[in-house]
Amino acid sequence: MRVLVVEDEKKTASFIRKALRAEGFAVDVCHDGEDALHLAATVPYDAIVLDIMLPGRDGLSVLRQLRERRSSVPVLLLSARGEVNERVEGLDAGADDYLPKPFALAELVARVRAMGRRGGEPRATVLQVADLTLDTVTRVARRGGTLIELTAREYRLLEFLMRSPGRICGRMTILEKVWDYDFDPGTNLVDVYVRRLREKVDADFQPRLIHTVRGVGYVLRETP
Amino acid sequence: MRIRTRLTLWYAAVMFASLTLMGALSYHEFVREAERTRAQYRDHGPEPGTARGRGGHFAQVAGIILWCGVPSALLALGGGWWLMRRALSPLEALTRAVERTHERSLHEHLPRTGNGDELDRLTEVFNGMTARLDQSFQRIREFTLHASHELKTPLTVMQGELETACREEALTDAQRERLLSHLDEVQRLGKIVDGLSLLTKADAGQVPFAREPVQMDDIVREAVEDAQHLAQGHDVRISLTACEALSVRGDRHRLRQVLLNLTDNAIKYNCPNGTVTIGLSRVDGFAQLAIANTGPGIPQELQPRVFERFFRGDPSHGNTVEGCGLGLSIAQWIVHAHGGTIRIDSKEQGVTTVTVLLPTIRAA
Repeated sequence: MRVLVVEDEKKTASFIRKALRAEGFAVDVCHDGEDALHLAATVPYDAIVLDIMLPGRDGLSVLRQLRERRSSVPVLLLSARGEVNERVEGLDAGADDYLPKPFALAELVARVRAMGRRGGEPRATVLQVADLTLDTVTRVARRGGTLIELTAREYRLLEFLMRSPGRICGRMTILEKVWDYDFDPGTNLVDVYVRRLREKVDADFQPRLIHTVRGVGYVLRETP
Repeated sequence: MRIRTRLTLWYAAVMFASLTLMGALSYHEFVREAERTRAQYRDHGPEPGTARGRGGHFAQVAGIILWCGVPSALLALGGGWWLMRRALSPLEALTRAVERTHERSLHEHLPRTGNGDELDRLTEVFNGMTARLDQSFQRIREFTLHASHELKTPLTVMQGELETACREEALTDAQRERLLSHLDEVQRLGKIVDGLSLLTKADAGQVPFAREPVQMDDIVREAVEDAQHLAQGHDVRISLTACEALSVRGDRHRLRQVLLNLTDNAIKYNCPNGTVTIGLSRVDGFAQLAIANTGPGIPQELQPRVFERFFRGDPSHGNTVEGCGLGLSIAQWIVHAHGGTIRIDSKEQGVTTVTVLLPTIRAA
Protein backbone atom coordinates (compact mmCIF):
# COMPACT_ATOMS: atom_id res chain seq x y z
CA MET A 1 0.00 0.00 0.00
CA ARG A 2 1.37 3.39 -1.01
CA VAL A 3 0.55 6.48 1.03
CA LEU A 4 1.17 10.18 0.36
CA VAL A 5 1.67 12.39 3.41
CA VAL A 6 1.12 16.11 2.81
CA GLU A 7 2.23 18.05 5.87
CA ASP A 8 4.27 21.25 5.98
CA GLU A 9 5.47 20.79 9.54
CA LYS A 10 8.67 18.77 9.04
CA LYS A 11 8.76 17.00 12.39
CA THR A 12 5.14 15.93 12.22
CA ALA A 13 5.64 14.72 8.65
CA SER A 14 8.71 12.80 9.72
CA PHE A 15 7.10 10.81 12.51
CA ILE A 16 3.99 10.11 10.48
CA ARG A 17 6.27 8.69 7.78
CA LYS A 18 8.17 6.61 10.33
CA ALA A 19 5.01 5.22 11.85
CA LEU A 20 3.45 4.35 8.49
CA ARG A 21 6.69 2.76 7.27
CA ALA A 22 6.83 0.68 10.44
CA GLU A 23 3.42 -0.69 9.38
CA GLY A 24 4.88 -1.74 6.05
CA PHE A 25 3.41 1.05 3.90
CA ALA A 26 5.37 2.78 1.16
CA VAL A 27 5.33 6.46 2.10
CA ASP A 28 5.99 9.65 0.12
CA VAL A 29 6.09 13.00 1.86
CA CYS A 30 5.60 16.46 0.42
CA HIS A 31 5.24 19.81 2.13
CA ASP A 32 2.88 21.91 0.04
CA GLY A 33 -0.36 21.72 -1.87
CA GLU A 34 0.98 22.15 -5.41
CA ASP A 35 3.47 19.29 -4.99
CA ALA A 36 0.71 17.16 -3.53
CA LEU A 37 -1.52 17.68 -6.58
CA HIS A 38 1.38 16.96 -8.89
CA LEU A 39 2.33 13.76 -7.05
CA ALA A 40 -1.27 12.57 -6.77
CA ALA A 41 -1.67 12.98 -10.52
CA THR A 42 1.41 10.92 -11.34
CA VAL A 43 1.54 8.20 -8.66
CA PRO A 44 -1.44 5.90 -7.96
CA TYR A 45 -1.72 6.23 -4.18
CA ASP A 46 -3.89 4.00 -2.00
CA ALA A 47 -4.39 6.74 0.57
CA ILE A 48 -3.47 10.40 1.19
CA VAL A 49 -2.91 11.98 4.60
CA LEU A 50 -3.59 15.67 4.03
CA ASP A 51 -3.02 18.56 6.42
CA ILE A 52 -5.51 21.42 6.02
CA MET A 53 -3.06 24.20 6.86
CA LEU A 54 -0.51 24.28 4.07
CA PRO A 55 1.51 27.11 2.58
CA GLY A 56 0.15 28.23 -0.79
CA ARG A 57 -2.78 26.04 -1.74
CA ASP A 58 -4.46 24.73 1.41
CA GLY A 59 -5.57 21.16 2.07
CA LEU A 60 -9.27 21.70 1.38
CA SER A 61 -8.48 23.23 -1.98
CA VAL A 62 -6.17 20.32 -2.83
CA LEU A 63 -8.95 17.93 -1.87
CA ARG A 64 -11.57 19.72 -4.00
CA GLN A 65 -9.17 19.76 -6.93
CA LEU A 66 -8.55 16.01 -6.52
CA ARG A 67 -12.28 15.28 -6.46
CA GLU A 68 -12.83 17.50 -9.50
CA ARG A 69 -10.33 15.34 -11.34
CA ARG A 70 -12.52 12.39 -10.42
CA SER A 71 -9.86 10.88 -8.22
CA SER A 72 -11.39 8.55 -5.64
CA VAL A 73 -8.24 8.04 -3.59
CA PRO A 74 -9.20 7.88 0.13
CA VAL A 75 -8.13 11.06 1.94
CA LEU A 76 -7.59 11.50 5.67
CA LEU A 77 -7.67 15.19 6.64
CA LEU A 78 -5.55 16.48 9.49
CA SER A 79 -6.57 19.74 11.10
CA ALA A 80 -5.36 21.84 13.97
CA ARG A 81 -8.79 23.44 14.14
CA GLY A 82 -10.87 20.42 15.06
CA GLU A 83 -14.26 22.08 15.25
CA VAL A 84 -17.46 20.39 14.16
CA ASN A 85 -18.24 22.75 11.30
CA GLU A 86 -14.71 22.43 9.92
CA ARG A 87 -14.99 18.69 10.00
CA VAL A 88 -18.28 18.90 8.15
CA GLU A 89 -16.63 21.21 5.63
CA GLY A 90 -13.80 18.72 5.17
CA LEU A 91 -16.10 15.76 4.74
CA ASP A 92 -18.27 17.76 2.34
CA ALA A 93 -15.21 18.56 0.26
CA GLY A 94 -14.76 14.83 -0.22
CA ALA A 95 -12.57 13.65 2.64
CA ASP A 96 -13.04 10.06 3.79
CA ASP A 97 -11.94 10.64 7.33
CA TYR A 98 -10.88 13.45 9.59
CA LEU A 99 -8.46 13.63 12.50
CA PRO A 100 -8.01 16.74 14.68
CA LYS A 101 -4.57 17.67 15.95
CA PRO A 102 -3.06 16.68 18.28
CA PHE A 103 -3.80 13.10 17.29
CA ALA A 104 -2.54 9.75 18.48
CA LEU A 105 -0.15 8.25 16.00
CA ALA A 106 -1.55 4.77 16.55
CA GLU A 107 -4.97 6.04 15.63
CA LEU A 108 -3.71 7.74 12.49
CA VAL A 109 -2.09 4.50 11.38
CA ALA A 110 -5.25 2.55 12.19
CA ARG A 111 -7.39 4.95 10.19
CA VAL A 112 -5.07 4.92 7.19
CA ARG A 113 -5.17 1.14 7.21
CA ALA A 114 -8.95 1.13 7.51
CA MET A 115 -9.24 3.56 4.58
CA GLY A 116 -7.12 1.32 2.41
CA ARG A 117 -9.49 -1.58 3.08
CA ARG A 118 -12.66 0.42 2.72
CA GLY A 119 -15.28 -0.49 0.20
CA GLY A 120 -14.30 -4.04 -0.63
CA GLU A 121 -15.69 -6.33 2.03
CA PRO A 122 -19.44 -6.74 2.44
CA ARG A 123 -20.71 -6.17 5.97
CA ALA A 124 -20.93 -9.49 7.77
CA THR A 125 -24.01 -10.17 9.86
CA VAL A 126 -22.23 -12.43 12.32
CA LEU A 127 -18.96 -11.03 13.63
CA GLN A 128 -16.41 -13.32 15.17
CA VAL A 129 -13.13 -12.80 17.01
CA ALA A 130 -11.65 -15.93 18.66
CA ASP A 131 -14.62 -17.62 20.36
CA LEU A 132 -16.59 -14.38 20.74
CA THR A 133 -19.48 -14.04 18.29
CA LEU A 134 -21.90 -11.20 17.76
CA ASP A 135 -24.99 -11.63 15.65
CA THR A 136 -25.89 -8.17 14.35
CA VAL A 137 -29.37 -9.27 13.30
CA THR A 138 -30.56 -10.86 16.53
CA ARG A 139 -28.17 -8.68 18.59
CA VAL A 140 -26.97 -11.70 20.55
CA ALA A 141 -23.41 -12.00 21.84
CA ARG A 142 -21.90 -15.33 22.84
CA ARG A 143 -18.51 -16.24 24.17
CA GLY A 144 -17.66 -19.95 23.68
CA GLY A 145 -21.40 -20.68 23.51
CA THR A 146 -22.25 -18.77 26.71
CA LEU A 147 -24.82 -16.05 26.21
CA ILE A 148 -23.64 -12.56 27.23
CA GLU A 149 -26.29 -10.07 28.33
CA LEU A 150 -25.59 -6.59 26.98
CA THR A 151 -27.32 -3.25 27.33
CA ALA A 152 -28.02 -1.31 24.13
CA ARG A 153 -24.98 0.91 24.59
CA GLU A 154 -22.70 -2.01 25.43
CA TYR A 155 -23.92 -3.79 22.35
CA ARG A 156 -23.08 -0.80 20.13
CA LEU A 157 -19.66 -0.52 21.72
CA LEU A 158 -18.91 -4.20 21.23
CA GLU A 159 -20.18 -4.12 17.67
CA PHE A 160 -17.98 -1.11 16.90
CA LEU A 161 -14.89 -2.83 18.33
CA MET A 162 -15.66 -6.11 16.55
CA ARG A 163 -16.30 -4.45 13.18
CA SER A 164 -12.59 -3.76 12.91
CA PRO A 165 -10.69 -6.28 15.03
CA GLY A 166 -7.08 -5.29 15.52
CA ARG A 167 -7.84 -1.65 14.74
CA ILE A 168 -6.94 0.75 17.51
CA CYS A 169 -9.96 2.89 18.32
CA GLY A 170 -9.34 6.25 19.94
CA ARG A 171 -11.62 7.44 22.72
CA MET A 172 -12.92 10.30 20.60
CA THR A 173 -13.72 7.93 17.73
CA ILE A 174 -15.59 5.63 20.09
CA LEU A 175 -17.55 8.58 21.52
CA GLU A 176 -18.44 9.63 18.01
CA LYS A 177 -19.53 6.26 16.73
CA VAL A 178 -21.14 4.76 19.82
CA TRP A 179 -22.51 7.83 21.60
CA ASP A 180 -22.84 10.16 18.65
CA TYR A 181 -20.95 12.82 20.64
CA ASP A 182 -18.98 15.15 18.45
CA PHE A 183 -17.29 16.92 21.33
CA ASP A 184 -14.92 15.84 24.03
CA PRO A 185 -17.11 15.54 27.11
CA GLY A 186 -14.07 15.54 29.39
CA THR A 187 -15.25 12.43 31.25
CA ASN A 188 -14.03 8.88 31.40
CA LEU A 189 -17.31 7.59 30.02
CA VAL A 190 -15.61 5.36 27.46
CA ASP A 191 -13.29 3.81 30.03
CA VAL A 192 -16.20 3.10 32.36
CA TYR A 193 -18.19 1.35 29.63
CA VAL A 194 -15.19 -0.60 28.38
CA ARG A 195 -14.54 -1.76 31.95
CA ARG A 196 -18.14 -3.02 32.18
CA LEU A 197 -17.88 -4.71 28.82
CA ARG A 198 -14.66 -6.37 29.86
CA GLU A 199 -16.30 -7.77 32.98
CA LYS A 200 -18.86 -9.42 30.75
CA VAL A 201 -16.70 -10.47 27.81
CA ASP A 202 -13.26 -11.12 29.27
CA ALA A 203 -13.51 -11.79 33.00
CA ASP A 204 -14.43 -15.49 32.86
CA PHE A 205 -12.76 -16.35 29.60
CA GLN A 206 -9.34 -16.83 28.00
CA PRO A 207 -7.71 -15.25 26.08
CA ARG A 208 -8.57 -11.65 26.96
CA LEU A 209 -9.81 -9.82 23.89
CA ILE A 210 -10.25 -6.16 24.81
CA HIS A 211 -6.92 -4.40 25.26
CA THR A 212 -6.07 -0.89 26.37
CA VAL A 213 -3.73 1.14 24.22
CA ARG A 214 -2.38 3.67 26.66
CA GLY A 215 -2.80 7.26 25.58
CA VAL A 216 -4.99 6.28 22.63
CA GLY A 217 -7.95 4.04 23.36
CA TYR A 218 -8.89 0.41 22.93
CA VAL A 219 -8.48 -2.47 20.55
CA LEU A 220 -10.19 -5.83 20.28
CA ARG A 221 -7.92 -8.65 19.13
CA GLU A 222 -6.82 -12.15 20.05
CA THR A 223 -3.15 -11.49 20.67
CA PRO A 224 -2.25 -9.16 23.55
CA MET B 1 -30.02 64.96 45.09
CA ARG B 2 -30.46 64.65 41.32
CA ILE B 3 -28.68 67.09 39.11
CA ARG B 4 -31.99 68.25 37.64
CA THR B 5 -33.46 69.12 41.05
CA ARG B 6 -30.25 70.78 42.13
CA LEU B 7 -29.99 72.91 39.00
CA THR B 8 -33.68 73.86 39.18
CA LEU B 9 -33.30 74.99 42.79
CA TRP B 10 -30.19 76.98 41.96
CA TYR B 11 -31.93 78.50 38.98
CA ALA B 12 -34.99 79.40 41.05
CA ALA B 13 -32.78 80.86 43.79
CA VAL B 14 -30.89 83.04 41.30
CA MET B 15 -34.16 84.05 39.67
CA PHE B 16 -35.70 84.86 43.02
CA ALA B 17 -32.62 86.84 44.09
CA SER B 18 -32.64 88.88 40.88
CA LEU B 19 -36.39 89.51 41.17
CA THR B 20 -35.97 90.59 44.77
CA LEU B 21 -33.12 92.88 43.75
CA MET B 22 -35.20 94.30 40.94
CA GLY B 23 -38.15 94.74 43.30
CA ALA B 24 -35.95 96.44 45.88
CA LEU B 25 -34.46 98.80 43.28
CA SER B 26 -37.87 99.62 41.81
CA TYR B 27 -39.22 100.23 45.28
CA HIS B 28 -36.26 102.47 46.01
CA GLU B 29 -36.82 104.39 42.72
CA PHE B 30 -40.53 104.77 43.43
CA VAL B 31 -39.84 106.08 46.90
CA ARG B 32 -37.25 108.59 45.57
CA GLU B 33 -39.60 109.62 42.83
CA ALA B 34 -42.37 110.13 45.37
CA GLU B 35 -40.05 112.14 47.64
CA ARG B 36 -39.08 114.39 44.72
CA THR B 37 -42.71 114.93 43.73
CA ARG B 38 -43.59 115.78 47.29
CA ALA B 39 -40.70 118.27 47.48
CA GLN B 40 -41.98 119.95 44.29
CA TYR B 41 -45.48 120.21 45.71
CA ARG B 42 -44.08 121.55 48.97
CA ASP B 43 -42.30 124.35 47.00
CA HIS B 44 -45.55 125.26 45.20
CA GLY B 45 -47.75 125.05 48.24
CA PRO B 46 -49.04 122.25 50.40
CA GLU B 47 -51.46 119.76 49.00
CA PRO B 48 -53.95 117.88 51.09
CA GLY B 49 -53.76 114.16 51.43
CA THR B 50 -50.13 113.88 50.63
CA ALA B 51 -49.29 111.83 53.66
CA ARG B 52 -52.12 109.40 52.80
CA GLY B 53 -51.01 109.51 49.16
CA ARG B 54 -47.52 108.52 50.19
CA GLY B 55 -48.72 105.59 52.24
CA GLY B 56 -51.03 104.45 49.34
CA HIS B 57 -48.12 104.67 46.97
CA PHE B 58 -45.98 102.38 49.09
CA ALA B 59 -48.77 99.84 49.49
CA GLN B 60 -49.41 99.94 45.73
CA VAL B 61 -45.74 99.35 44.93
CA ALA B 62 -45.45 96.59 47.51
CA GLY B 63 -48.62 95.02 46.08
CA ILE B 64 -47.25 95.09 42.54
CA ILE B 65 -44.00 93.51 43.68
CA LEU B 66 -45.78 90.85 45.72
CA TRP B 67 -48.53 89.98 43.25
CA CYS B 68 -46.26 90.00 40.24
CA GLY B 69 -43.04 88.83 41.91
CA VAL B 70 -44.38 85.65 43.53
CA PRO B 71 -46.05 84.26 40.38
CA SER B 72 -42.89 85.16 38.43
CA ALA B 73 -40.80 83.26 40.96
CA LEU B 74 -43.14 80.27 40.71
CA LEU B 75 -43.07 80.47 36.93
CA ALA B 76 -39.28 80.58 37.13
CA LEU B 77 -39.31 77.46 39.28
CA GLY B 78 -41.65 75.53 36.94
CA GLY B 79 -39.98 76.80 33.81
CA GLY B 80 -36.61 75.96 35.27
CA TRP B 81 -37.75 72.42 35.95
CA TRP B 82 -39.04 72.06 32.41
CA LEU B 83 -35.89 73.60 30.91
CA MET B 84 -33.62 71.34 32.92
CA ARG B 85 -35.58 68.31 31.90
CA ARG B 86 -35.35 69.32 28.28
CA ALA B 87 -31.64 70.03 28.55
CA LEU B 88 -30.86 66.82 30.37
CA SER B 89 -33.04 64.40 28.42
CA PRO B 90 -30.33 63.64 25.79
CA LEU B 91 -28.00 62.91 28.71
CA GLU B 92 -30.50 60.40 30.09
CA ALA B 93 -30.87 58.78 26.69
CA LEU B 94 -27.09 58.57 26.55
CA THR B 95 -26.97 57.02 30.02
CA ARG B 96 -29.49 54.38 29.02
CA ALA B 97 -27.52 53.61 25.87
CA VAL B 98 -24.27 53.33 27.82
CA GLU B 99 -25.99 51.08 30.35
CA ARG B 100 -26.86 48.68 27.55
CA THR B 101 -23.25 48.52 26.38
CA HIS B 102 -21.45 45.32 27.36
CA GLU B 103 -18.50 43.23 26.25
CA ARG B 104 -20.34 41.80 23.26
CA SER B 105 -21.96 44.97 21.98
CA LEU B 106 -18.82 47.08 21.85
CA HIS B 107 -18.88 47.19 18.08
CA GLU B 108 -22.30 48.90 18.11
CA HIS B 109 -22.03 52.68 18.09
CA LEU B 110 -24.36 54.97 20.02
CA PRO B 111 -26.54 57.13 17.74
CA ARG B 112 -25.30 60.73 17.44
CA THR B 113 -27.46 63.80 17.03
CA GLY B 114 -24.86 65.35 14.74
CA ASN B 115 -25.61 68.91 15.90
CA GLY B 116 -22.11 69.30 17.38
CA ASP B 117 -23.21 70.23 20.91
CA GLU B 118 -21.52 69.07 24.09
CA LEU B 119 -23.57 65.89 24.32
CA ASP B 120 -22.90 65.00 20.73
CA ARG B 121 -19.23 65.44 21.44
CA LEU B 122 -19.55 63.22 24.53
CA THR B 123 -21.26 60.52 22.42
CA GLU B 124 -18.46 60.76 19.90
CA VAL B 125 -15.81 60.39 22.60
CA PHE B 126 -17.69 57.46 24.11
CA ASN B 127 -17.97 55.75 20.73
CA GLY B 128 -14.25 56.22 20.23
CA MET B 129 -13.58 54.61 23.60
CA THR B 130 -15.79 51.58 22.94
CA ALA B 131 -14.16 51.16 19.54
CA ARG B 132 -10.74 51.06 21.20
CA LEU B 133 -12.04 48.62 23.83
CA ASP B 134 -13.55 46.48 21.12
CA GLN B 135 -10.19 46.37 19.37
CA SER B 136 -8.45 45.32 22.59
CA PHE B 137 -10.96 42.56 23.22
CA GLN B 138 -10.59 41.47 19.64
CA ARG B 139 -6.82 41.36 19.99
CA ILE B 140 -7.05 39.27 23.16
CA ARG B 141 -9.43 36.83 21.47
CA GLU B 142 -7.25 36.58 18.42
CA PHE B 143 -4.23 36.11 20.60
CA THR B 144 -5.85 33.24 22.53
CA LEU B 145 -7.09 31.69 19.31
CA HIS B 146 -3.68 31.90 17.68
CA ALA B 147 -1.96 30.72 20.84
CA SER B 148 -4.16 27.64 21.13
CA HIS B 149 -3.68 27.03 17.45
CA GLU B 150 0.08 27.37 17.64
CA LEU B 151 0.18 25.05 20.67
CA LYS B 152 -1.41 22.25 18.70
CA THR B 153 1.53 21.69 16.39
CA PRO B 154 4.14 21.15 19.13
CA LEU B 155 1.60 19.06 21.02
CA THR B 156 1.11 16.87 17.97
CA VAL B 157 4.87 16.51 17.63
CA MET B 158 5.29 15.67 21.32
CA GLN B 159 2.48 13.13 21.27
CA GLY B 160 3.86 11.50 18.14
CA GLU B 161 7.42 11.38 19.45
CA LEU B 162 6.28 9.95 22.79
CA GLU B 163 4.20 7.27 21.12
CA THR B 164 7.10 6.35 18.88
CA ALA B 165 9.46 6.27 21.88
CA CYS B 166 7.08 4.01 23.84
CA ARG B 167 7.37 1.39 21.13
CA GLU B 168 11.14 0.99 21.55
CA GLU B 169 11.86 -2.61 22.47
CA ALA B 170 14.87 -1.77 24.65
CA LEU B 171 12.88 0.22 27.25
CA THR B 172 12.67 -0.94 30.83
CA ASP B 173 9.22 -0.99 32.41
CA ALA B 174 10.07 2.04 34.55
CA GLN B 175 11.17 4.04 31.52
CA ARG B 176 8.08 3.07 29.58
CA GLU B 177 5.86 4.02 32.50
CA ARG B 178 7.52 7.43 32.67
CA LEU B 179 7.02 8.01 28.95
CA LEU B 180 3.39 6.93 29.20
CA SER B 181 2.81 9.31 32.08
CA HIS B 182 4.25 12.10 29.90
CA LEU B 183 1.87 11.00 27.18
CA ASP B 184 -1.09 11.31 29.56
CA GLU B 185 -0.09 14.84 30.46
CA VAL B 186 0.40 15.83 26.84
CA GLN B 187 -3.12 14.59 26.13
CA ARG B 188 -4.49 16.53 29.07
CA LEU B 189 -2.80 19.63 27.72
CA GLY B 190 -4.38 18.89 24.35
CA LYS B 191 -7.83 18.84 25.96
CA ILE B 192 -7.22 22.13 27.71
CA VAL B 193 -6.10 23.73 24.45
CA ASP B 194 -9.22 22.36 22.71
CA GLY B 195 -11.51 23.77 25.39
CA LEU B 196 -9.75 27.11 25.28
CA SER B 197 -9.98 27.47 21.54
CA LEU B 198 -13.66 26.47 21.64
CA LEU B 199 -14.43 29.18 24.21
CA THR B 200 -12.41 31.77 22.33
CA LYS B 201 -14.36 31.03 19.19
CA ALA B 202 -17.56 31.17 21.21
CA ASP B 203 -16.59 34.63 22.47
CA ALA B 204 -16.07 35.77 18.91
CA GLY B 205 -19.47 34.29 17.98
CA GLN B 206 -17.85 31.91 15.52
CA VAL B 207 -19.46 28.69 16.72
CA PRO B 208 -22.67 27.89 14.87
CA PHE B 209 -25.59 26.34 16.76
CA ALA B 210 -28.27 24.11 15.31
CA ARG B 211 -31.83 25.34 15.96
CA GLU B 212 -33.89 22.20 15.90
CA PRO B 213 -36.48 20.82 18.30
CA VAL B 214 -34.78 18.72 20.97
CA GLN B 215 -36.76 16.36 23.19
CA MET B 216 -35.25 17.20 26.58
CA ASP B 217 -36.65 14.18 28.45
CA ASP B 218 -34.92 11.84 25.98
CA ILE B 219 -31.51 13.35 26.44
CA VAL B 220 -32.01 13.57 30.21
CA ARG B 221 -32.82 9.85 30.42
CA GLU B 222 -29.80 9.11 28.29
CA ALA B 223 -27.58 11.24 30.53
CA VAL B 224 -28.97 9.44 33.58
CA GLU B 225 -28.02 6.10 32.06
CA ASP B 226 -24.49 7.32 31.39
CA ALA B 227 -24.33 8.85 34.86
CA GLN B 228 -25.27 5.55 36.46
CA HIS B 229 -22.24 3.98 34.85
CA LEU B 230 -19.97 6.87 35.74
CA ALA B 231 -21.16 6.79 39.33
CA GLN B 232 -20.26 3.14 39.94
CA GLY B 233 -16.65 3.83 40.71
CA HIS B 234 -17.54 6.67 43.08
CA ASP B 235 -20.08 5.04 45.48
CA VAL B 236 -22.66 7.53 44.35
CA ARG B 237 -26.34 6.83 43.71
CA ILE B 238 -28.21 8.51 40.84
CA SER B 239 -31.90 9.23 41.10
CA LEU B 240 -34.22 10.74 38.52
CA THR B 241 -37.05 12.45 40.41
CA ALA B 242 -39.02 13.96 37.56
CA CYS B 243 -38.78 13.81 33.82
CA GLU B 244 -41.60 15.65 32.08
CA ALA B 245 -41.93 15.44 28.32
CA LEU B 246 -40.54 18.79 27.18
CA SER B 247 -38.89 20.05 24.08
CA VAL B 248 -36.68 23.04 23.49
CA ARG B 249 -35.23 24.55 20.36
CA GLY B 250 -31.50 24.19 20.11
CA ASP B 251 -28.43 22.14 19.41
CA ARG B 252 -28.86 18.55 20.52
CA HIS B 253 -25.14 17.82 20.73
CA ARG B 254 -24.41 20.90 22.77
CA LEU B 255 -27.30 20.27 25.16
CA ARG B 256 -26.10 16.71 25.70
CA GLN B 257 -22.69 18.17 26.42
CA VAL B 258 -24.18 20.40 29.15
CA LEU B 259 -26.06 17.46 30.71
CA LEU B 260 -23.08 15.16 30.68
CA ASN B 261 -20.82 17.84 32.10
CA LEU B 262 -23.20 18.74 34.93
CA THR B 263 -23.95 15.14 35.92
CA ASP B 264 -20.26 14.27 35.72
CA ASN B 265 -19.39 17.21 38.00
CA ALA B 266 -22.16 16.26 40.43
CA ILE B 267 -20.64 12.77 40.65
CA LYS B 268 -17.00 13.83 40.86
CA TYR B 269 -17.52 16.55 43.46
CA ASN B 270 -19.66 14.43 45.74
CA CYS B 271 -19.05 12.94 49.14
CA PRO B 272 -18.73 9.15 49.50
CA ASN B 273 -22.08 7.31 49.60
CA GLY B 274 -23.65 10.45 48.20
CA THR B 275 -26.58 10.91 45.90
CA VAL B 276 -27.10 12.84 42.68
CA THR B 277 -30.69 13.89 42.07
CA ILE B 278 -31.77 14.90 38.59
CA GLY B 279 -35.12 16.44 37.75
CA LEU B 280 -36.66 17.91 34.62
CA SER B 281 -39.88 19.85 34.98
CA ARG B 282 -41.88 22.64 33.37
CA VAL B 283 -41.77 25.96 35.20
CA ASP B 284 -43.53 29.01 33.68
CA GLY B 285 -42.83 28.12 30.07
CA PHE B 286 -39.29 27.06 30.84
CA ALA B 287 -37.74 23.63 31.01
CA GLN B 288 -36.14 23.50 34.42
CA LEU B 289 -33.34 21.05 34.85
CA ALA B 290 -32.10 20.67 38.39
CA ILE B 291 -29.08 18.56 39.23
CA ALA B 292 -28.34 18.29 42.93
CA ASN B 293 -25.67 16.41 44.83
CA THR B 294 -25.06 15.80 48.50
CA GLY B 295 -22.09 18.09 48.85
CA PRO B 296 -19.54 19.00 50.11
CA GLY B 297 -20.96 22.46 49.49
CA ILE B 298 -19.24 25.39 47.86
CA PRO B 299 -18.54 28.38 50.14
CA GLN B 300 -20.93 31.27 49.51
CA GLU B 301 -18.25 33.70 48.33
CA LEU B 302 -16.94 31.26 45.71
CA GLN B 303 -20.32 30.37 44.19
CA PRO B 304 -20.47 33.16 41.60
CA ARG B 305 -16.97 32.24 40.48
CA VAL B 306 -17.51 28.59 39.58
CA PHE B 307 -18.36 29.51 35.99
CA GLU B 308 -15.05 31.32 35.54
CA ARG B 309 -12.51 29.72 33.28
CA PHE B 310 -9.95 27.54 35.04
CA PHE B 311 -11.62 28.21 38.38
CA ARG B 312 -10.94 25.54 40.97
CA GLY B 313 -12.92 25.85 44.19
CA ASP B 314 -10.34 24.63 46.59
CA PRO B 315 -6.71 24.70 45.45
CA SER B 316 -5.94 21.55 47.47
CA HIS B 317 -8.87 19.87 45.73
CA GLY B 318 -7.73 20.89 42.28
CA ASN B 319 -5.42 18.06 41.49
CA THR B 320 -7.47 15.20 42.87
CA VAL B 321 -10.26 15.65 40.35
CA GLU B 322 -9.42 15.29 36.69
CA GLY B 323 -10.76 17.67 34.07
CA CYS B 324 -9.62 20.76 32.29
CA GLY B 325 -11.30 23.43 34.43
CA LEU B 326 -13.38 24.72 31.54
CA GLY B 327 -16.43 22.43 31.76
CA LEU B 328 -18.75 24.81 33.60
CA SER B 329 -17.67 27.79 31.50
CA ILE B 330 -18.55 25.80 28.40
CA ALA B 331 -21.87 24.70 29.93
CA GLN B 332 -22.71 28.31 30.77
CA TRP B 333 -21.89 29.46 27.26
CA ILE B 334 -24.13 26.77 25.74
CA VAL B 335 -27.05 27.57 28.06
CA HIS B 336 -26.77 31.30 27.36
CA ALA B 337 -26.61 30.65 23.63
CA HIS B 338 -29.97 28.87 23.99
CA GLY B 339 -31.46 31.90 25.70
CA GLY B 340 -31.44 30.15 29.06
CA THR B 341 -29.94 30.72 32.47
CA ILE B 342 -27.77 28.59 34.72
CA ARG B 343 -27.10 29.11 38.39
CA ILE B 344 -25.60 27.26 41.30
CA ASP B 345 -26.91 27.21 44.86
CA SER B 346 -24.94 25.58 47.57
CA LYS B 347 -25.34 25.29 51.28
CA GLU B 348 -22.03 25.41 53.10
CA GLN B 349 -22.06 21.82 54.33
CA GLY B 350 -24.77 20.36 52.19
CA VAL B 351 -26.69 20.13 48.98
CA THR B 352 -25.34 21.83 45.87
CA THR B 353 -27.89 22.36 43.11
CA VAL B 354 -27.24 23.49 39.58
CA THR B 355 -30.40 24.79 37.93
CA VAL B 356 -30.72 25.31 34.20
CA LEU B 357 -33.71 27.09 32.70
CA LEU B 358 -34.31 26.83 28.96
CA PRO B 359 -37.23 28.32 27.03
CA THR B 360 -39.51 25.53 25.81
CA ILE B 361 -41.27 25.24 22.49
CA ARG B 362 -45.00 25.61 22.83
CA ALA B 363 -46.60 22.26 22.07
CA ALA B 364 -48.31 22.50 18.67
